[in-house]
Amino acid sequence: MAAVSTRRLQKELADIKNHGTPTGITLLKADDFETWYLTLEVLGESLYKGEVFALKFRFEPGYPISSPAVQFVVDDKFRAPLHPHVYSNGHICASILGTEWSPVLSVISVCITLQSMLASCKDKKRPPDNDRYVAHAPENPKKTQFVYHDDEV
Amino acid sequence: MGNSASSGRGHHEDTVDYGYLTPQGVYTGPRDWNQTIVTQLICERKLAPFYRPLEDYEDNWEDEQILAARKEPTDSEASSQGDSSVGRADSIASTGSRTHHKRPSNVKEVQRPIPEAAIYRGAIECPICFLYYPPNINHSRCCDQAICTECFVQIKRAEPNPTHLVSEPACCPYCVQENFGVVYTPPPWRAGIGSEGATPPSWPDSPKGSTANSVASSNAAMKRRRKSFGHDSPDVVTIDQIRPDWEAKLAAVRAAVQRRANRRIIMRQVGDRLIPVGVTSGRVHALPTEDGGEADGNGERGSRRSRRRNQNPDLNQLLGTMGLGGQDLEELMVMEAMRLSLLEHEEQQRKQKEEEEKKKREEGDAEGVNQTENAGPSTTPSVETPSSAVSSSTSTRTDNASTNTLISPSASTSHASSMSGGRDVSPPIESATPPARSTHGSSLSVSSLSPDQRSIRSQKRRSASPFIGAALQSATVTASAVVSPSSGEPSGSTPEEDTPVLPHPTMPISRSPSRASTHSSPTPTSPESTVTPEESGPEAEPITPPSDPIPVPVDSDASPPLTHHSASFASSIEGDINAAYDVLPSSPASSGSSLSRKPLLDAQSEVNDMPTVTSSSEAH
Repeated sequence: MAAVSTRRLQKELADIKNHGTPTGITLLKADDFETWYLTLEVLGESLYKGEVFALKFRFEPGYPISSPAVQFVVDDKFRAPLHPHVYSNGHICASILGTEWSPVLSVISVCITLQSMLASCKDKKRPPDNDRYVAHAPENPKKTQFVYHDDEV
Repeated sequence: MGNSASSGRGHHEDTVDYGYLTPQGVYTGPRDWNQTIVTQLICERKLAPFYRPLEDYEDNWEDEQILAARKEPTDSEASSQGDSSVGRADSIASTGSRTHHKRPSNVKEVQRPIPEAAIYRGAIECPICFLYYPPNINHSRCCDQAICTECFVQIKRAEPNPTHLVSEPACCPYCVQENFGVVYTPPPWRAGIGSEGATPPSWPDSPKGSTANSVASSNAAMKRRRKSFGHDSPDVVTIDQIRPDWEAKLAAVRAAVQRRANRRIIMRQVGDRLIPVGVTSGRVHALPTEDGGEADGNGERGSRRSRRRNQNPDLNQLLGTMGLGGQDLEELMVMEAMRLSLLEHEEQQRKQKEEEEKKKREEGDAEGVNQTENAGPSTTPSVETPSSAVSSSTSTRTDNASTNTLISPSASTSHASSMSGGRDVSPPIESATPPARSTHGSSLSVSSLSPDQRSIRSQKRRSASPFIGAALQSATVTASAVVSPSSGEPSGSTPEEDTPVLPHPTMPISRSPSRASTHSSPTPTSPESTVTPEESGPEAEPITPPSDPIPVPVDSDASPPLTHHSASFASSIEGDINAAYDVLPSSPASSGSSLSRKPLLDAQSEVNDMPTVTSSSEAH
């Protein structure tokens, strides 16, 4: 039997292919069951109008019991959104990706949450400790113990 | 088919309602839950058995389709899937039919419902692993959402770690309510374990149509529950139930952290300087304390713990009697090493000065005097000994102990140890009692504490636990008293002559304890409480009389005569030892209370009041 993560991701993938993705979210790449890429944009009026971001999901064998490692892609094509909870290296300070992760959540539900996080942003700026964090941040955001700045996300 | 009966029997023995007692391989991680408890809960039908999940499910599937979609476990029976599973299904079907249907004809065999397939009619998809399970599935106690047993056993508290010293009950993955638990409604029939005499499962012949409907309706009845259950409801199985060790884990991490925080540097005074000679284990506090705040909000937990603790009072009592209660062997060894080295050190000093005469007196006069005194104070505590005067509340034993100790400071040692040891047993108040820092130090000074003395001390402490402060006082006082009485002692050769000069080391020392205690008392567990050289620095300073001395002086005068020798001995030791040992970490973390200071102050005041005594120590 394959790991539970594989089976679950197979089903999530099948669901995405059968029923499509919510608006503003597209599946960019899902060649295996370890790393997926999706694009994210905020439709309608928002501070991020016209911007497209990419999300990178990394799954452990324990997924969905263990949360996926989710971060914005920062490369020559994508940038991390300017947001008080998003560090310039793409790491996201969102409780649902850490302590409040629930195995009931899925790739798509995480995307939707992050989409609404961006949509509700009032002030495009980096987290106050961005430079300090980015200088020493681990490669995998799951290795960071975030202190969640507020309860909104 | 002749062998099917036996295989069927074997099959029944380790299944419950056609489900299994162990996980069927959905998750591959470590099985860190208590499997015994899980098995029991499954047998009691309080938790759904581990059914082999279906990859997929459609209501109109034939039995064979269902069985083909069934996950085969990776281990034992996982042979070539398709054929073997069908074959198995056949044999099981035949046994099932034999048992329950009285031998059907072979012709109809294909049409007959296969129990192992029939149970999947109306299968439910677990929202976490996305696999399909028989409709008799667990439901979250709070929001009535389905969850298979495979997923349920995976949900647990976050492991506590040194930076996250709490263990919050896992929340419901669906509604995030705390204390996640499930309720299981078993099917109306029984099979396998615990099915003896129960209604055998029976399904209509056709897997479709009516079957689905009837199953669905019965499922609907099962699912009709709409109320939520409290996490303490007897029908609920919580994630803590299947991992009963979470408390121990938390306690272990906490103890480790606290131990680290309680480490103290052991200092040794050489001349007027303190030299670090080691680090204590700090393990005295390793046992979980009730006042740790972990039991807040859950009285039941706390009471359980206290109950558990009370279950072996004998052991605690024994340890307490030995002066070892709750004290770590490691620390005892450190203390012993320290004591020896200090003795050695002191010995050197003594040799330099008047070694010969003092020894003579010690062996001769002091002991004799002590012996005689022992009898006196113990019987009439109130009058004679200083300790009794100071702490009238303490029982006669106190006096006894104090008098017993040849070297008064030593008595305090046993005190300290017994205190720390007794913390587990003792009520919160007691645990809050201040550690006698000064006393600790003095423990080292004691060249040899006889078991009797210790036991006496511990006894006293236990009996007069509420009055520990007083007891400590008395101990301290005793120490000083022992020293002071020297003047009155007839056998003491010439106590007063020696007294005039105050030895620097001694005086500062006596003072230092108080300082240390006051310093550290506010933050008992914090590493800062470690005595640093700067803190001890004051010892080198000239002694300034405490502004608020406690009226102990009277006692010293009235105190029974001690040999001048013993007095000097004690004081000299006290000097070095007290200074060094105040630092001793072993003092209970709870040492914040004002009580702790009293003894120290007393000691101070006494020192001030009794310059003569200290002066005697100066001799060496």
